[in-house]
Amino acid sequence: MARPVFRRVKAEEERRLVHLDRDRSLVEAALRDPAAFDALYRKYLAQVYSYAYYELGNHHDAEDAAERTFLLALGALDRFEERARPVDGDGASTFRVWLFRIARNVVANIRRGRRRQPVAPIEAAAGMAGSTDVERQVSERHEAGAAWAAVARLPAERRRALVLRFVEEMSTAEIAGILGRSEGAVRVLIHRGLRAVARDLGGRRW
Amino acid sequence: MIPASGQGEPEIEALRVDRYLESILVARERGTALTLHDAGLAADLRSTAERLTSELTRIHPSFRFEERLAGRLAELAAALRLPAAVGGEASPPPPIGFDAEDRFDPAHPVVDEGDPSSFRARPLLIGGALTSAAVSLAGVVFVAWRLSRPVHPMVRAIRAAHARADHEGGLA
Repeated sequence: MARPVFRRVKAEEERRLVHLDRDRSLVEAALRDPAAFDALYRKYLAQVYSYAYYELGNHHDAEDAAERTFLLALGALDRFEERARPVDGDGASTFRVWLFRIARNVVANIRRGRRRQPVAPIEAAAGMAGSTDVERQVSERHEAGAAWAAVARLPAERRRALVLRFVEEMSTAEIAGILGRSEGAVRVLIHRGLRAVARDLGGRRW
Repeated sequence: MIPASGQGEPEIEALRVDRYLESILVARERGTALTLHDAGLAADLRSTAERLTSELTRIHPSFRFEERLAGRLAELAAALRLPAAVGGEASPPPPIGFDAEDRFDPAHPVVDEGDPSSFRARPLLIGGALTSAAVSLAGVVFVAWRLSRPVHPMVRAIRAAHARADHEGGLA
């Protein structure tokens, strides 16, 4: 009979999962006492903020996105399901994937809001515009304007995959979880994105 | 040439890039020099990957923003703790700054620009549910109103007259 075998395998997998999700103890503490969510917030604020900044292009929207993301995450924490698998590795955090899925949705909502209420040209000229602002600020800080500009010119999903990989230092599995794609598809996205950036930078002076 | 595993050349190269990036990140995490030199990976891809690793850095929010948001989260945490403390189910009050749609399922995939795989099922679903709930609610409210509204004395008199006439007609 197949059923008892499946049960054994599932139970064994569940035992192995205990050690996998690196945020398990923090999430459990926050579920017991919502005030303990502060530890998760401090741990991931810079990552979520940075992701939002690269996506939206200015500090104001990045702050808005980070704020909404963490408020939503705290409010919905009891709906979070840990889904780390053995293949995700020892350092896997499905909480981080869940959090970034929220951040991605919040960023999409802010973008939709922007389309409904377009910024007046005078405000745009004052520095409210998208990726060029990121380019300018990154360039000022790290003289990396050309590299970011090449990434910013990529189609949205390739750009997003590269930002999650290089800025947030996420694994392919985590990016796949956030973007809702297979790991193979994410590898191809990153490869194509990297090739396009290499071509772009190769055709310009570094 | 297709390898025995069934993966084509682009997938193989994508795997090589993935392995290379993983090694860069591991080396960076350990603070050691990169030791992996995959001869099969194009030199321009290697140098671009290394450049992006060093130049695309994380951008931090201001300390002021961090503390302000920490305060808001603490307020929300306190509000969440209260219902749980009195034995009720903890349901968060709607925090200012996001709408009801946000709270539907925050991690559920939504439509996003530049993402052809996303679809518009969620707004339709919400719209349908809201419409059907609104229609049902309107029906219930209408029936309740009909049953509970005060009847005008004139209407009552007319109904009584009709009832009497029917009764007398029935006897005749």
